[in-house]
Amino acid sequence: MSNSDENPKKSLFSRYGDRRKARIDELAAMSAPRTAPAPVPVGAGGPAEDLTVHESGTIEEKPGVSLWQSAWHRLRRNPVFLLGLTITVVFILVAIFAPWIAPKDPLQGYLIDKVRPQSNPIPGPEPGFPLGADHLGRDLMSRLIAGSRQTLIVGVLATLGGFAGGLLLGTLAGAFGGWVDSLVMRAVDVMLSIPSLVLALSIGALAARPSQWTLIIAIAVVQVPIFARLLRGSMLAQRSSDHVLAAQALGIRRSAIVTRHMLPNAMGPVIVQATLALAVSIIDAASLSFIGLGNPDQRIPEWGAMLGQSQRFIYDNPHLAYYPAICIIIVALGFTLMGESLREALDPKTRR
Amino acid sequence: MTTTGPHPTTSAGDEHDVLLTVEGVKVHFPIKQGVIFDKTIGYVYAVDGVDLQIRKGETYGLVGESGCGKSTLGRAILNLEHPTEGRVVFDGVDIASLKGEELRRKRQDLQMVFQDPLSSLDPRQSVESLLVEGMKAHGLAKDAKQARPRLRELLHAVGLPSTALNKYPHEFSGGQRQRIGIARALSVDPKLIVADEPVSALDVSVQAQVINLLGDLQDEFGLTYLVIAHDLAVVRHISDRIGVMYLGSIVEEAAAPDLYAEPLHPYTRALLSAVPIPDPEIEDSREQILLTGDLPSPSNPPTGCRFHTRCPWRQKTRCDDERPQLRVVEIGGIPADHKVACHWAEQIHSGQLQPHEVEAVSVDPTSFAADAGDHGTIIAETPGRATQSGDPGRGL
Amino acid sequence: MTTTAYAARADTRSDAPLLSVRDLQVTFQRRGEEPFHAVDGVSFDVRPGQTVGLVGESGCGKSVTSLAIMGLLPRRGNRISGTVDFDGTDLLSLSDGQMRDRRGKDIAMVFQDPLSSLNPVVPVGIQVTEVLERHRGMNRKAAMPMAADLLKRVGIPDPDRRIKDYPHQMSGGMRQRALIAIALACAPRLLIADEPTTALDVTIQAQILALLKELVEDTGTALIMITHDLGVVAGLCDEVNVLYGGKIVERGPRHPIFRTPRHPYTNGLLGSIPRLDAAGERLTPIPGSVADNLPWDHACAFAPRCSQPIAVCTQTTPELETTGDRALRCHNPVEDPR
Repeated sequence: MSNSDENPKKSLFSRYGDRRKARIDELAAMSAPRTAPAPVPVGAGGPAEDLTVHESGTIEEKPGVSLWQSAWHRLRRNPVFLLGLTITVVFILVAIFAPWIAPKDPLQGYLIDKVRPQSNPIPGPEPGFPLGADHLGRDLMSRLIAGSRQTLIVGVLATLGGFAGGLLLGTLAGAFGGWVDSLVMRAVDVMLSIPSLVLALSIGALAARPSQWTLIIAIAVVQVPIFARLLRGSMLAQRSSDHVLAAQALGIRRSAIVTRHMLPNAMGPVIVQATLALAVSIIDAASLSFIGLGNPDQRIPEWGAMLGQSQRFIYDNPHLAYYPAICIIIVALGFTLMGESLREALDPKTRR
Repeated sequence: MTTTGPHPTTSAGDEHDVLLTVEGVKVHFPIKQGVIFDKTIGYVYAVDGVDLQIRKGETYGLVGESGCGKSTLGRAILNLEHPTEGRVVFDGVDIASLKGEELRRKRQDLQMVFQDPLSSLDPRQSVESLLVEGMKAHGLAKDAKQARPRLRELLHAVGLPSTALNKYPHEFSGGQRQRIGIARALSVDPKLIVADEPVSALDVSVQAQVINLLGDLQDEFGLTYLVIAHDLAVVRHISDRIGVMYLGSIVEEAAAPDLYAEPLHPYTRALLSAVPIPDPEIEDSREQILLTGDLPSPSNPPTGCRFHTRCPWRQKTRCDDERPQLRVVEIGGIPADHKVACHWAEQIHSGQLQPHEVEAVSVDPTSFAADAGDHGTIIAETPGRATQSGDPGRGL
Repeated sequence: MTTTAYAARADTRSDAPLLSVRDLQVTFQRRGEEPFHAVDGVSFDVRPGQTVGLVGESGCGKSVTSLAIMGLLPRRGNRISGTVDFDGTDLLSLSDGQMRDRRGKDIAMVFQDPLSSLNPVVPVGIQVTEVLERHRGMNRKAAMPMAADLLKRVGIPDPDRRIKDYPHQMSGGMRQRALIAIALACAPRLLIADEPTTALDVTIQAQILALLKELVEDTGTALIMITHDLGVVAGLCDEVNVLYGGKIVERGPRHPIFRTPRHPYTNGLLGSIPRLDAAGERLTPIPGSVADNLPWDHACAFAPRCSQPIAVCTQTTPELETTGDRALRCHNPVEDPR
């Protein structure tokens, strides 16, 4: 119903102001002391002819606003996105500066003296140790902070791996179609038919020695088919779109059509998926570490591993599980909120 | 489908005037079904044997209702849809037989203007890169800087200020976008422009701007147009010659004023009489030929004359089983380039045959040829709403 | 309500308006954006048996007006003010539940896209009987023959068979007929048709328009025809309202408004449409697009696109002034149309 692309009034006013400025330039001799562009009255009593627009309508003098710019314009005012962004940025900052933020050395058992396997396996909070310590007397607070770095590395690298693999497969399938498409997509279907965690588990278990890297590879492989399928669908939609047909009719080379027109337009949903996948990767990494397929070096803190280690003490000291779990939930939520609002902002249907 | 040899090209008179010759073009889309192995279980006969010629500098209008295959024909001419059969000869080269790099280079000469100006412009490209792209692909410019003067010229030609260059498609109004689409088509110096419904997505007040613009550009650059549209008034306004399509083939072809003055095919008559005219006095007095029923499915077209299921002049003989070819009629006052595909055109024109009521045939759009035997098209027993026929063809 | 089609026909000639819209305003308020006045003080009357046209381009507020009358605009994010008086009741003051009772019974609507306005998983016949069940308290068995009757009435061949068809099994024209059958099921006194033929081909459009015309004549139903196509209006409407930028800019009976359009917009529209019966003279388009509109507050929104603006056009809002059966909102009316 409403066709105006953006805020109708504001743009009208400014446009009106531009037109007036042009006229003022023309009549340079006249020095009208007007500063702010006012909508009315303009040209009061003056000739009304130059009010009429050019046949094609007016075009603002301002430089153009690309799709991403206008999406950002809307995101800036979206509280959901801002919340997600804040969580994410805080998480990333904490992960990067963990060694400096953490009050204590996360590897050192400061309170080991207070650990009594029978009566007091988990030392409670005390001055300097706001969350208490774990069963080896290490500061829980510092371990949580330090653990964010592992979590981020695993999450980001696994998602990037999945993204890259999916990009390759999806582009192949979407751009070429035909038997390439069939072949790639059947393989992807097979991978998708296995529950993701089971698949990651099997891949993780295949490795001779579990390490942080097997964890990343396992999760990345699980992400590949999701990205591939999404990108392929997105590419197919682009392939049958009018603007790709237009490029074809214009005589653009096929490689240029794929890289300049299809891929950039197909990437929107994939990038959104990437933020959501990051959340899933973090949870998957936590799950695998929980089972013990993560980094075998138990001294290095990781939220999933911390969660896993806490299960022995879950009855008497549930807080040991709560803290890392809450961290995982909040970070995953941050990425999800950001992804969802990105999806909304980039959807051309919501654009007015 | 009767075997149609390509029309003798001699009918064009002077050969060198012809820019594009379409000979017996057919586009059939297979309907596939199957879980693992796709099996072709039928065809959509979108374009089913079309011959036409477009002369240099003229505007050929292709008109018809949705599903008549006019857009598919337009794409087949550009080889954006590969024709199943037939030849599309442009400047002595059969475009339908070209492939790969050869085809890509040839595309410089034939350009297209799309219906929806927003969806046909890549939302991520600025106007500048949209316009430069084609020029680069055909070696007309090396980079945007070098192309700048030409870009300004192009924009000026389509009535846009050069400030539009660094803007993005979504920042324009519908009419402005269509101007950009036209500028893009012009950017590679084409000889023929196929415009597929160039104004139907625009507001009424803006349509006229684009129609005028197309006319001006034709004069300025000596362009040849093939304009495809469902709006008869638009087509009549801009075309020199008009071809009327029904279910995949051309049923009548004539110079625009002739077609309007003396429509010979029953379908053309009905179509002309159905177009509302913004003048109450004319609307009150004119008689309409109301067609009954729907357009038959192009996957299961009627035998014989495609129009016989809805034709108020249908005869017991020939109409049902013999497919009429486009032919010149022998009626006084009808010029030789007015062709019609109707067995009874002369008799209908002289008034010897009078229209009668037609039983409505309702069409299930999901049916197609292969299963027509079981539950295909349904021929209703109930008589449909009668034709309100007076003296058709007049009263407009 | 016991009104039947026949009762409605009896008071066709009465002058009391059936529907009287006064100063209808619809404002879309989106978070973080300036409010947008989609409908800006629209007033018009519809008498029983009358066909009133609302004409304008996309964004002129014609569809929003109809949705506001039907009470179909979401309340959240919109401000609706004014009165919509239907037979003595202000529809805007009714609760959602009361409005639901009225919709389909007293006022019915036909939409532009027949495929998306029909439920794809329910046979068409059942969708007709649902209305009868809801508003007339009939059971399905009793409603069935009546539904078949309605389908026959709107020209669907072999209604006893097609009653079991799903929407996707029908063609566009048939679906629109089915939609009209649903709208007519309870013999409404007012039918609102929002671009009912825009999605259809010309030959099918001619069928549907003929059907609407016939139904209006037979049943005495009042009809509000919303369209962008002046040709459709010319053949169908008794009275024409031309909308621009959310306001009515010109109103008049069918013949005079086409013969002597007085608003530059109406005149411009008529000059910019290619006509089938006129030779190919150059069209005189209206420059610009609706994006060039001025706000109505202190100006005429159309002024930047107008062919004959004067200084006052950008200083004061023109009022809708009525003379006889015509009304005009313009500072500098067209004296010599086209």
